Amino acid sequence: MASAVGVTRTSFFLDKLQSLSGIVPIGAYLAEHFFENSYALVSPDKYNYIASKLETVPWRIPLEFLLIWLPILFHGCYGLYIWWNGKANAIGHPWMTNWLYVLQRWTGIIVFAFIGYHVWTVRFLSHGKTTYADIAHAMANPWIVAIYAIGILAASFHLGNGLWNFSCKWGFAVTPESQRAAGWFGACVAIVFAVIGLAIIAGFRFHWTPFDTYL
Amino acid sequence: MPDKTVIVRIKRRQRPDEPARWEEFELRYRPHMNVITCLRDIAERPVTRDGRESSPASYEANCLEEVCGACAMLINGEPRQACSALVDNLEQPICLEPLSKFPLVRDLVVDRSKMFEDLKRTHCWIPIDGTYDLGEGPRMSPATQETGYPLARCMSCGNCLEICPKVNEHTQFVGAAIISQVRLFNMHPTGKLHSAERLEALMGPGGIQDCDNSQNCVKVCPKGIPLTESIAAMNGQVIRHALKTWFTGHD
Repeated sequence: MASAVGVTRTSFFLDKLQSLSGIVPIGAYLAEHFFENSYALVSPDKYNYIASKLETVPWRIPLEFLLIWLPILFHGCYGLYIWWNGKANAIGHPWMTNWLYVLQRWTGIIVFAFIGYHVWTVRFLSHGKTTYADIAHAMANPWIVAIYAIGILAASFHLGNGLWNFSCKWGFAVTPESQRAAGWFGACVAIVFAVIGLAIIAGFRFHWTPFDTYL
Repeated sequence: MPDKTVIVRIKRRQRPDEPARWEEFELRYRPHMNVITCLRDIAERPVTRDGRESSPASYEANCLEEVCGACAMLINGEPRQACSALVDNLEQPICLEPLSKFPLVRDLVVDRSKMFEDLKRTHCWIPIDGTYDLGEGPRMSPATQETGYPLARCMSCGNCLEICPKVNEHTQFVGAAIISQVRLFNMHPTGKLHSAERLEALMGPGGIQDCDNSQNCVKVCPKGIPLTESIAAMNGQVIRHALKTWFTGHD
């Protein structure tokens, strides 16, 4: 049987890794991140308690590096290369899936820039220790609220649409029916992430703690 | 000029390296005209709308019934077959351009040998000849025949490559038609014997990984081939093959 001798699989490997890394670990981390930040909707004390717990996990730096920073850097940088390799034509051919292709690229770069800002301000400038009061103080500025809202909406869309792409690109959803179902699933994921993300912003902005009855 | 006319604008180049120019022709309308009849009328009397003597526009056409794929071109910006593009259904002036993703030969003629080369590279045929009689092949189930038949209608017109954002000068992407043909030949009981070769070719540079799921291909396919279904099916096959050969090697 002819083997792969002489045929390079580098781009196959990197493309599939780019697709997978968006789901695991990045998508999974985003779910964890939104969940942990939702403690702001319980109470500032609970939020600070959870934050300090996360800030003191053993092997924090290697874990952050391997599960968060490296995957996001790879996904983003290789994603820009993939974008450069494509020539969008949605203006002349405005089918929905063609627009999703374009939006996936634009939301990708918005999220990439937002993550850079977000990590720089609340991870590095704060030396890895951010409290409820710090975020609430930042959210008093409407511009920062707007930046976060855009970042959250773009990330939610990018993840939801990415789930649909992933299901096609890994051959999980083959028939038109299953691809449509995967699309609806992705849309639901996007909506859930957007609602939770915006609720967290509202929590910080208005000191809104709808879950304080749980205490 | 008669009462009812058809206005056709053609993007023309004598040679690939010369700048394009647009020529406009006004033709006498007849019922049931299609774009090929327009091009024939122009060839008969190649005089532009402003009365200038021109030359017949070069184009490719063969079957005139949408089974050969030769007459693919951009008609009002959409990649489609000129033979099945009826004038009654087109907005005027009818703009004709050559497909943009293939090297230009002249006027509306492009060189689509990339597709043929990619079909060869991905082993899209079934070897039935040997140094001895190979005998009858295994039977194909009716269910496989039913899935395979729509895929077998592909005529390599190139419309799916033309509309794909990932087919351009930055990539060597083989495009939807070839991926769908790999699916067809891997489905065939005798073709299966060479499935590993095809899957490995699809993993190479310009392989299936270049697809970014804009799903434009399926919308322009004149034969209604379920191209996005083929791409997803082949993604599954290629990934299973890659994992299997990497972990456990070839059989």
